[in-house]
Amino acid sequence: MSTREVPSGSDQVNRLQRWFQAVITHADGVDSGAGSQEAQRLIRLGPGQLERVITRSRALTAAERLAIYANAYHTRLLECLGEVFPMLKRTLGDEAFDGFAFGYLQEYPSRSYTLNELGRHFPRYLEDTRPAADCTEPDLSRAGSSAEAADEWPNFLIDLAHLEWAIYEVFDGPGVEGQTLLWAGQILNLQPEQWPEARLEPVPCLQLLATRFPVNDYYTKLRKVKGNEYVPIPSSHNSFVAFSRRDFVVRRYNLSGTEFELLRAIQQGMPVGRAIEYAAQASSDSMDQLASNLKLWFRNWTVEGFFQRVKFVGYND
Amino acid sequence: MVLKRLGHPHLGLGVGLRTIHFDYILQNHPAVDWFEVISENFMDSRGRPRYVLEKIAERYPVVMHGVSLSIGSTDPLNFEYLGKLKALAKDIRPLWISDHVCWTGVVGRNSHDLLPMPLTEASLKHVAERIRTVQDFLERPFVLENPSTYVGFTGSTLSEWEFIGRMAEQADCGLLLDVNNVYVSSVNHDFDPEEFIRSVPHERVVQFHLAGHTNCQTHLIDTHDNHVADPVWKLYRLAHQLTGGVSTLLEWDAKIPPFPVLHAEVLKAKQHIGTELADQRMADLPIEPEPAELGGAGGVDRFQEESAVPHPLHHTMAQVA
Repeated sequence: MSTREVPSGSDQVNRLQRWFQAVITHADGVDSGAGSQEAQRLIRLGPGQLERVITRSRALTAAERLAIYANAYHTRLLECLGEVFPMLKRTLGDEAFDGFAFGYLQEYPSRSYTLNELGRHFPRYLEDTRPAADCTEPDLSRAGSSAEAADEWPNFLIDLAHLEWAIYEVFDGPGVEGQTLLWAGQILNLQPEQWPEARLEPVPCLQLLATRFPVNDYYTKLRKVKGNEYVPIPSSHNSFVAFSRRDFVVRRYNLSGTEFELLRAIQQGMPVGRAIEYAAQASSDSMDQLASNLKLWFRNWTVEGFFQRVKFVGYND
Repeated sequence: MVLKRLGHPHLGLGVGLRTIHFDYILQNHPAVDWFEVISENFMDSRGRPRYVLEKIAERYPVVMHGVSLSIGSTDPLNFEYLGKLKALAKDIRPLWISDHVCWTGVVGRNSHDLLPMPLTEASLKHVAERIRTVQDFLERPFVLENPSTYVGFTGSTLSEWEFIGRMAEQADCGLLLDVNNVYVSSVNHDFDPEEFIRSVPHERVVQFHLAGHTNCQTHLIDTHDNHVADPVWKLYRLAHQLTGGVSTLLEWDAKIPPFPVLHAEVLKAKQHIGTELADQRMADLPIEPEPAELGGAGGVDRFQEESAVPHPLHHTMAQVA
């Protein structure tokens, strides 16, 4: 303990901590971390001089000891991301997933006290970086050209990441377990003249997701197969999913495009009548088709527990 | 005059509550004395983890154990975090709240690791002041645990036990003595683990931790993925004698076995407390093996070639239909 490379006094601990963090979280390892501009600004060390700050043990050099923390930092967080996005990891394979996750951690290091927040920006990171098809081994034989495949594969991965993050959020977010929910008759018995003022209050755990691939069905299939059994990557087509939670278990429900628009309008607070008009405008369904579907949809949605109550408020409230 | 265990009760032998055991515990109500829960896994939860915790807290004594307070960090204390910690404590009514003598990140980042403090007068003053602030905010004494560490700083001027003992006195806080961490650090830093155990202020020890570690030949890592090693049991016995016995908890965070195996592991503590048979058997065990001998030391001191990862690793796993 004879060599003092850090000053004594009030800023001693701060400088040492900032240096230590810069060294152990560096993407290229401890030596690169110690040589980085940030670390050098805090504690200037030449190559091989780590032992001026970190003691060696009987068996390990200072660099080897620091590498325990560096390895733990990356391994722990990659493991965590893999558990938040398990089907994405299976789809990509461990090596490719860890590669993307590693890049993500450089861009979005954790700033939260909880690991439960670690994956929040991962879908956005994939959107920004658009993982290249040649980094992975997808079956893109259905795609007409390599250019098309290169474009579609990142979209599929991004969609799958959004799906898995939605599941994660719904699982531990607010729910309505133990509460009485709206039953179908309470909606179906609404008179048409009540529709302009009737608003359906969705449960807080209801989340809606629009994707370019049917990733919800893919997710279901992949969860059912064991080991490395292959599940084909589906062809792209616009798909829609609602997430909710019952008895603390996340439930997924496929929607048509019109159902999605209607539920989205309801979730945005539109009265039922206006939400139906909005969905009808966005839909290619005829009004007759829509009218006949509404009864079924509202019945199914109440069975799924999508709504808490009906509120009657003024149109402009 | 400090009350023994700061006046806290001796809860007996408990285990760390982990998600994988939720169903078993709710269905079987095992006869475990108490549970320790990871605060961060529940303070924001509005789903099943929080529901399960409330059910368990109705039936068992519970203690809250955090991993992200970062009491040693030079970043400002996170009062949003502390507010949530206090709110959870109000709801769950833990017997006490603990965290680690460490820092987890700086300049706003969180490594989610328990990073080592330089053992200096400056960092001691820094930590003690922050503990007092936390205790004032939480309106209760806080309990701090010695972590496993893998590096030492050339600038350190204090031994770890001196640092922790003085910290406890200056901050007037409790100690969570992690016996496995003492052993792991003693091998990694080549000190006498018994001296550590003998030197801490015993009246301030509120709780013990036990856990398994991984032997990497050149060093030990606190992996929480195995049975408690024999040298750790021997230290536990010493710690029990010196403190007069305090609440003991087993942590198991990776390769987690079925609950009965976990429970049986902590119940082994009974064999190490005050019987002649245990005295004789433990006296024969080495307490500080040479690094070259680490692979063979201790009945369950697991040897591992590949790199091991220190825990904690605590986050929520979703359940999907």
